[in-house]
Amino acid sequence: MAEPIPPAERLLNLVIALVNTGSRMSKEQIRGTVAGYGDATSDDAFERMFERDKDALRDLGIPILTVTGRGHGDDIGYRIDQDAYAMPQVDLTAAELGVLSLAAQFWQDRTLRTDATRALTKLRAVGSGPEAGDLVAGLAPRVPAAGAALGPLLDAVHAHQAVTFSYRAASTGEVRTRLLEPWRLLVREGGWYVVGLDRDREAARSFRLSRIEGPVRGVGPTAAFVVPIGIDPAAVLDSRRAETSAVAVLAVRPERASALRSRAVSRPEGSRPLPTGLVDRDLIQVPYTSITAFVDEVVGYADAVVVLEPEELRERVVTRLDAASALDPTPGRTGHEEVSRRG
Amino acid sequence: MAERAPDRLVRMLGMIAYLERHGGVPVEELAEQFQVSRRQVVDDIDTLWLTGTPGYWPHDLIDFDAAALEQGVVRVTQSRGMTRPLRLGTREAIALVAALRAMRESLVAGLDPDRLAVLQSVLDKLTAATGEAATIVDVRLAADGAPTVNAAVGAALQAGRRLKLDYVTASDVSGEREVDPLRLVTGERRTYLVAWCWRARAERLFRMDRVLSAEVLDVPVAEHPRSDHADAFHPDQDAELVTLELESRARWVAETVPVEEVRNRSDGSFEVDLRVVDPTWLRHLLLQIAGDVRAVRPNSIAVEVADIARSALSAYGVMVPRTTSD
Repeated sequence: MAEPIPPAERLLNLVIALVNTGSRMSKEQIRGTVAGYGDATSDDAFERMFERDKDALRDLGIPILTVTGRGHGDDIGYRIDQDAYAMPQVDLTAAELGVLSLAAQFWQDRTLRTDATRALTKLRAVGSGPEAGDLVAGLAPRVPAAGAALGPLLDAVHAHQAVTFSYRAASTGEVRTRLLEPWRLLVREGGWYVVGLDRDREAARSFRLSRIEGPVRGVGPTAAFVVPIGIDPAAVLDSRRAETSAVAVLAVRPERASALRSRAVSRPEGSRPLPTGLVDRDLIQVPYTSITAFVDEVVGYADAVVVLEPEELRERVVTRLDAASALDPTPGRTGHEEVSRRG
Repeated sequence: MAERAPDRLVRMLGMIAYLERHGGVPVEELAEQFQVSRRQVVDDIDTLWLTGTPGYWPHDLIDFDAAALEQGVVRVTQSRGMTRPLRLGTREAIALVAALRAMRESLVAGLDPDRLAVLQSVLDKLTAATGEAATIVDVRLAADGAPTVNAAVGAALQAGRRLKLDYVTASDVSGEREVDPLRLVTGERRTYLVAWCWRARAERLFRMDRVLSAEVLDVPVAEHPRSDHADAFHPDQDAELVTLELESRARWVAETVPVEEVRNRSDGSFEVDLRVVDPTWLRHLLLQIAGDVRAVRPNSIAVEVADIARSALSAYGVMVPRTTSD
């Protein structure tokens, strides 16, 4: 033989042979007749090659069926059933392919990106013509990478199999092993989460993928649990960030905090007196849904924005500023002088 | 980098299925359809030509119309039954459908009804073809930016028009500027407009929640040098290196801002090294997480933030009595 047959060509020959075989092909027939397998130099090399090709094809959605002969147990053959791999009837327009092409770029994560790219190649086969990209011109949705934990978790959620992993709790910094029935993967502000039943705590819990340390392993059988009816996995996660709906009354320095001003609603009615020391300020009302996020935002403006109401918001901002005023490790002259010189 | 064999196999099978449905297809069109070079199409056809059923006599092989190919047109004359398109695997379906769903939820602001209809139609077709796998992943992207601003930016991007923005910077300075919009980057945390800024004469990222107003101008966007600028913020390696020593509760800092290095300690606390381009940003961060900060290096930053906090407290009429005992 002049030169070895490339793997893609061997795979293609295997698929064509197993689709076209009358009933089945034995391993010996495959080794002896399918172009590419003759390159195997030993029995072991052939076995490894064939097993790897079977795995590769299964990953692509082309399952190889193992058929046992009626007569004796070791009479095993293989074939591919086209109905098992064929896509149901779908037709895609050029514009739809353009949207899919954008969707395939959605994931920064390598696992999902590989899957999405391959899916797109398959769908291009049923497109009416080359994609039209102008439809989604300029839009670039981006989801952050999830890391190594994502692949095994995707498979476990789909297979309904429990998983175990080491997890670093944010509250304590402690690393512990968790046993989870994973229900769903979510992307929210801050990244990737998995939600499920924590078997040790017997309660629904959410875990951040970036805090998983080391590998995620499946444990026990597949189809081991069902997601309980009446539980919304997203609500398990979102409940931690309970949303409120409140309106803050703020005293803002002139010309400052335009981003807050742009979200202001109608001004407080009447002539609400500004506290002494703040008389030169503008009074605005700004609605907010998450008090934590709003505290973060307001604190960032330091003395340019003073919270008058509600009391809880005011207290939390003051507490935060209090903590910040203690950042100075050597309170006293040195620090102040350094700052005032700069001013 | 060499292409992986499975990816090439999927494309070659896809080509046969496509050709079966479209008859003769010019090489260029096939290349465009599968987003590969013409050279790659020719290589793929050469390989397909050699494959077939065992025996590999001429009548066993996949065959093309050689005369048509001379004219640059690909036509399959014998496909050995390989005409059925491949169905999507579970993970493949999850990856595309979850992305489409998140796009439908988050890009609504930047899409007009026609484009939204295409998105919905492809989502329907794919869901029908793949079943329920899609509910495994649920993505919610940032929805910041005022509706009128989103609409204007979406329209300008599609029509290729210049925008007039009223924008407020991280340092809380607002002002008008004209920009040529390039991309709207929607992440899970924030949405940014990548645009050529005529004032800065360079590409800039604009946070959509800081765009106070946007007006579509009757000026087409100009050609600009392509920057390799990623769509995310990557601090300059020359920027100042700052080290924060934080309590475990502030772990989100290490997870959401670009950090150089994280060092965990046995008690759960940790240190992060950050490159800081914009001191305003760092001051803002430290004010947010002050309660969880154990130390800041260099020290001058801690001193400055503490001083800013004290002056803010005095605006509240609260003067913290500084205990001298601790």
